[in-house]
Amino acid sequence: MTIYGWAGKILRVNFTTGSITTEDTMKYKDYIGGIGIGYKVIYDEVPLDTHPYDEASKIVLAMGPLTGTGVPCSGRLSMTFLSSWTKGFSVVDAHMGGHISHALKYAGYDGIIFEGKSETPVYLKIDDDKVSIEDASHLWGKGTFEANRILVEENGSDFDAATIGPAGENLVNMSCMITSVGNAGGAGVGAIFGSKKVKGFVVRGTGSLKVADPKGLKEVSDYMLRELVGGNNNHNVPAVPQSWAEYSAPSGKNRWSGAPGRGWHKAEGGFVDMGEQPVGDIDKIGYRAHKGHFDHGPIADKYMVKVGGCSSCPIRCYAQYDIDPLAEYDLPTKVSNTCMPIIYQSAWYPEGLTDFVDEGDANLVICGAGARAVDDYGLWDNYGNIQRDFNYLYRSGILKEKLPEEEWNSIPWHWMKEGDPRFVVDIVRRISLKEGEISKLGLGTYLLVEEWDLGKEYFDIEYLQNVTYNGYPKHHSSEDAWQSGLLYNIMYNRDCMVHHITNFVQSGSPYELYKKILEEEFGEGAVDKPKHYTPMNRAKARLAKWAFIGKQWHDMATLCNWMYPMTLSPSKERGYKGDLELDAKYMTAVTGENWTREDVDLVSERVTNMLRVITAISFHIHEGSTNLREDHDTIAAWVFDKEPDFEPFEAGTVKMDREDMEVAKTMFYEEMGWDVKTGIPTRETLERLGLGYMADDLEARGLLPA
Amino acid sequence: MSEVKKENKIDKLLNQEMTRRKFMKISGKSLAGLTVSASLLSLFGCTQEQVDSGAVSLWTTPTGLLVVNQAKCTGCQRCEINCTVVNDGMVSSHTSRVKITRNLMSNNGHGTYQDDWVYYPDTCRQCDVPACGEACPKEAIYADDKGVKHVDEAKCVGCGACVEACPWHMPTIHPETRKSTKCILCGACAEGCVTGALSIVPWDAVTAAAQPTRKN
Repeated sequence: MTIYGWAGKILRVNFTTGSITTEDTMKYKDYIGGIGIGYKVIYDEVPLDTHPYDEASKIVLAMGPLTGTGVPCSGRLSMTFLSSWTKGFSVVDAHMGGHISHALKYAGYDGIIFEGKSETPVYLKIDDDKVSIEDASHLWGKGTFEANRILVEENGSDFDAATIGPAGENLVNMSCMITSVGNAGGAGVGAIFGSKKVKGFVVRGTGSLKVADPKGLKEVSDYMLRELVGGNNNHNVPAVPQSWAEYSAPSGKNRWSGAPGRGWHKAEGGFVDMGEQPVGDIDKIGYRAHKGHFDHGPIADKYMVKVGGCSSCPIRCYAQYDIDPLAEYDLPTKVSNTCMPIIYQSAWYPEGLTDFVDEGDANLVICGAGARAVDDYGLWDNYGNIQRDFNYLYRSGILKEKLPEEEWNSIPWHWMKEGDPRFVVDIVRRISLKEGEISKLGLGTYLLVEEWDLGKEYFDIEYLQNVTYNGYPKHHSSEDAWQSGLLYNIMYNRDCMVHHITNFVQSGSPYELYKKILEEEFGEGAVDKPKHYTPMNRAKARLAKWAFIGKQWHDMATLCNWMYPMTLSPSKERGYKGDLELDAKYMTAVTGENWTREDVDLVSERVTNMLRVITAISFHIHEGSTNLREDHDTIAAWVFDKEPDFEPFEAGTVKMDREDMEVAKTMFYEEMGWDVKTGIPTRETLERLGLGYMADDLEARGLLPA
Repeated sequence: MSEVKKENKIDKLLNQEMTRRKFMKISGKSLAGLTVSASLLSLFGCTQEQVDSGAVSLWTTPTGLLVVNQAKCTGCQRCEINCTVVNDGMVSSHTSRVKITRNLMSNNGHGTYQDDWVYYPDTCRQCDVPACGEACPKEAIYADDKGVKHVDEAKCVGCGACVEACPWHMPTIHPETRKSTKCILCGACAEGCVTGALSIVPWDAVTAAAQPTRKN
């Protein structure tokens, strides 16, 4: 029987025994792909009391049926494993873009299960159906950029590569894997690979992925590109006025930042003007995202070569820079990233920065140095927590107390005070190589608080942004998305990475316009005015559930959650309304099965509940907890105590109200079919989702709600 | 002196009435060193500076001028996706008639992992006298009435002679169908290019843009 969308096989490689086998993907079909396969394999095969760095620990790398088919914004993969750094040490996933997911699908695989432990450094070579474990001793210790380059040179220019850096090799909890131009999978996956002595993998895929209805797929893709897709983060109106556009962002700023006169000055042959990008012009969509300008303003244009991103994606969200001022410090000048690494490195300089060549270029140059360093060392920043921990501990004097005097004196503080880009590189190196006490920053906030005895109140400091007491920060939470955002921020075992709501709130579209579109779906009262919130209601709980389970869908399918869902549209003719049926339309065209939005929601809910059950079991094992509501879904005090001059629900504040958030949790658990007392899924819910075996497991452990 | 003469000659050519035959004389060569009129630059979607830097290549094809501007290629691979989904009904990099993936990671010291981000889609040149067709032992590669070369799948035996004969190895033997995938100028790659790095400018547009206007 022909399989459409899925490649058909999962590769299983055991690095202890050297065994390389494949198995049929279709046995995981109920879980679709990506994290769905990830949760299932971890649950079935890895006892949840396993230490993440033990031989029994596994990494499940997987794509979904849409990746590789050319569905726009689908060049993604997920890696699922046990966390080494959060309260409960439960399941987490890392998500990686670039181009390697396509290569893997074309090589014939929907995923790779990495298991066991090698005694010597190795990498995995996948050349279609020829798979081998190769020596990587010449790569061990090298940065990711050099390692990836060597791997591609050694194996052939039609291979792609992904590797960990020294941070992962040295079992630094805060570590990632890097492919392409700085495309990273984080959440500590680097050290799991490092514990297995696996530097990374290379892939060449010369096969084809079959789709059931190629004509239909092309039509749906073209429809999305002509009518639905916006700019970066799917912002559906341009940042600044364009002649064809009815609206632009009132602030003049959003992530659809490409505009006439803006562009790339260091492009081959000189300035490329990004011009206007009217709705319907497919050949201009690639100029909508100008993340450089969004992050750093007009100075970014001076150093930009071009833009990049992932396979299949028309929104090129990676600014690719050649930052010459770095050459004077003997640092690499070529830098590319789209997320925290390229916007958040000034936090290493608590005493401020000084411009280099032009007014206002300090942050860009420092971020360039920092981005290249963290990506090369494979250090993951936990969405800025590592920088914030450093910044706060320095400013408060705690860092000086904690470091031995000799170590403190060895740190080039003068570089920090002078705003020298070599400072960030020096600190990143110390953490990645586990040099000295300062490298404890690489444990992650949760274990750092324990290690340095910083007390639970450390999490209550607003600057540090910890949304729970579990070790990770907020990621577009209540500040963008009222109670709904805060709810899904506390559901995961890492920062939530849910962009459903922030994407329309920050789009620059008029509030009344997106409110109407969203409330038609979720009911009156679902969408609050920016900085003028109302108490919790049922519509907000439904909205939160949509975003929460929808994020899992993206990491199953595998689609980019920065772009999907297509909630809004840039098209005036459509009334700016997107198409929430789109994912189902793609599934139908790709798989040949008749998919509806309800089908998508059902599988999303299934996999979401797997996350919840696994989390409940881990918290029981590691924390002795029988109640996720009380022990996992906790909210740091600053969320309620910030902005003391305001009361919650006053105009002008995004602070939350304690009692109201308890109401919110209750409503949300009810929407999810979870016990409101413990926040654990009921048997009825699990059985409805085909997860009766998980209900049995919970029952056997005494965790199933009565 | 001779360089200046050559430049003037081609400049004249580019700004006079253009026919496909005249364009053939510069096809496949880098346009570096040529002065191109504003109306043609606008049509090609490039600047004189990009022409001077060698970032722009032109290829004459039976249906129009194929313009590849590597300064604008952002490596999204949508050209390959659209090529294969339209022509093969399945999606692949390897069998695509336009090829970016093989240049994207590393190409002769350039590319993503060489830290310079110079990459570009390789395209079929639709040669007047095609090496692929000449080499085919089954005479499976034929020209239609416009001059576009096609593969007669009934005749193709998948021997790979066309792949070897093409100086740029543009055809590929599809591993599953065992037929040569040679570009048939369907245009899906260019139509779907999200930055206009790849475009096909129809001959009538080229001719119109190259005509001196009455006002001039």
